[in-house]
Amino acid sequence: MIGIIDYGLGNLRSVLGAVEKLGQSGVISANPGELSGCEKLILPGVGAFGDGMGNLAARGMIEPLNKLVRLDRKPILGICLGFQLLAETSEEFGAHEGLGWIPGHVKRIRPGTDALRVPHVGWNDFEKAGDCILFDDIPDPALFYFVHSYHLETDPGITVGTCTYGRPLCAAVQSGNVFGTQFHPEKSQQYGLKVLQNFLERA
Amino acid sequence: MLRKRIITVLTLNDGTLFRTKLFKPDYRYTLNFVDAWSVDEIAILDVTRGDHPDRDKFFKAVSEFARTCFVPISVGGGIRKLEDVARYMDAGADKVVINTGAVENPHLIEDIAGAYGQQCVVLSIDAAKTDDGYEVMSHFGAKPTGHDPATWAKYGEALGAGEIMITAVERDGALQGYDLGLCAEVAKAVSVPVQVLGGCGNWQHMTQAFEVPGVSAACTQNIYHFTEQSIASAKKFLAGKGVAVRA
Repeated sequence: MIGIIDYGLGNLRSVLGAVEKLGQSGVISANPGELSGCEKLILPGVGAFGDGMGNLAARGMIEPLNKLVRLDRKPILGICLGFQLLAETSEEFGAHEGLGWIPGHVKRIRPGTDALRVPHVGWNDFEKAGDCILFDDIPDPALFYFVHSYHLETDPGITVGTCTYGRPLCAAVQSGNVFGTQFHPEKSQQYGLKVLQNFLERA
Repeated sequence: MLRKRIITVLTLNDGTLFRTKLFKPDYRYTLNFVDAWSVDEIAILDVTRGDHPDRDKFFKAVSEFARTCFVPISVGGGIRKLEDVARYMDAGADKVVINTGAVENPHLIEDIAGAYGQQCVVLSIDAAKTDDGYEVMSHFGAKPTGHDPATWAKYGEALGAGEIMITAVERDGALQGYDLGLCAEVAKAVSVPVQVLGGCGNWQHMTQAFEVPGVSAACTQNIYHFTEQSIASAKKFLAGKGVAVRA
């Protein structure tokens, strides 16, 4: 069973649809007990950082999730906002603390040219950086769907893929059992589904 | 490199797919026509009229479609409050499209952006030609608002709109090409990505739209563009013209 973490934001159903398309069962849940019975977790997200952390806290999920991810070392995949929430801080609408499971800070995208608009919306080339099971059997580069105004600045040592929008942006990370993609695998057709399948089967 | 997008726009009336011409209903077809593997993104708009239309059928259609659709979906129609957005997001939307609701209460843009992020808000603007320019129209292109499209787009961006979808009312369903002057005016006024809609009759029209600085997506609701392979063939054409698209 795959636990899709429900914190009141995000396209939870799209993620569940993709998990089911890949032949696995998933459950959308805000219940730590139920999530602890799942083999793997997905932290989706469409939304603002402050609201995301606020909702996780209001539902009393931060401590239980810390235990599941840090102590039990359950594999978790953060997607888009869920990926950014893995970091230490964000500057989106004020200063916010994140889950802090990976090093790094979330900052506004500044492409450095007026020709490139923010949000960064659409299909962009993802280039692998290092080895990560998420991207097994996926061409390099491959196109994935991005939609975000903020990006993660993190340690190159955990960056497993980048895209370029004026300058290189971190597009995927792995640190032990913690995985994350800035792009939406559940919205990136065949290669996106392959990324999810790799997480479900190999993480 | 970030690719230019082709967005297929589906308009549903009372839960059934509908095409419009000059904002009036034309004829019907089914969701199965959507060439789901080549299309970059889909917008699904509820155009059911009336003061309090029953949207349950629309939600059902969107939910069913979203379950097997692995590209981004924007959903719009009748959004007036944050709860409407929550319902659309729950049905499988990745973004919402607002139009009349934003004209009536511009702070709705702020509320949605605050809760779901700027990237979640597509401000749709319908513009009609006037003697000395263009005017924003609300209520399915029927009601003049007194706003200038470029100024309204800029204000919408300041409130938190992440994308602008600009439609020339007179071009709707006419297949004679986008109103490039209007697209350019609006795209120049904002720094967020712009989607253009209304008038796409052939692939050359898309090429023209992408030559306008700031236009990142060409939308089509032309039934002939929904048949198998048609979006793939559009992309082949665009790539041949040097437009960076996703194959």
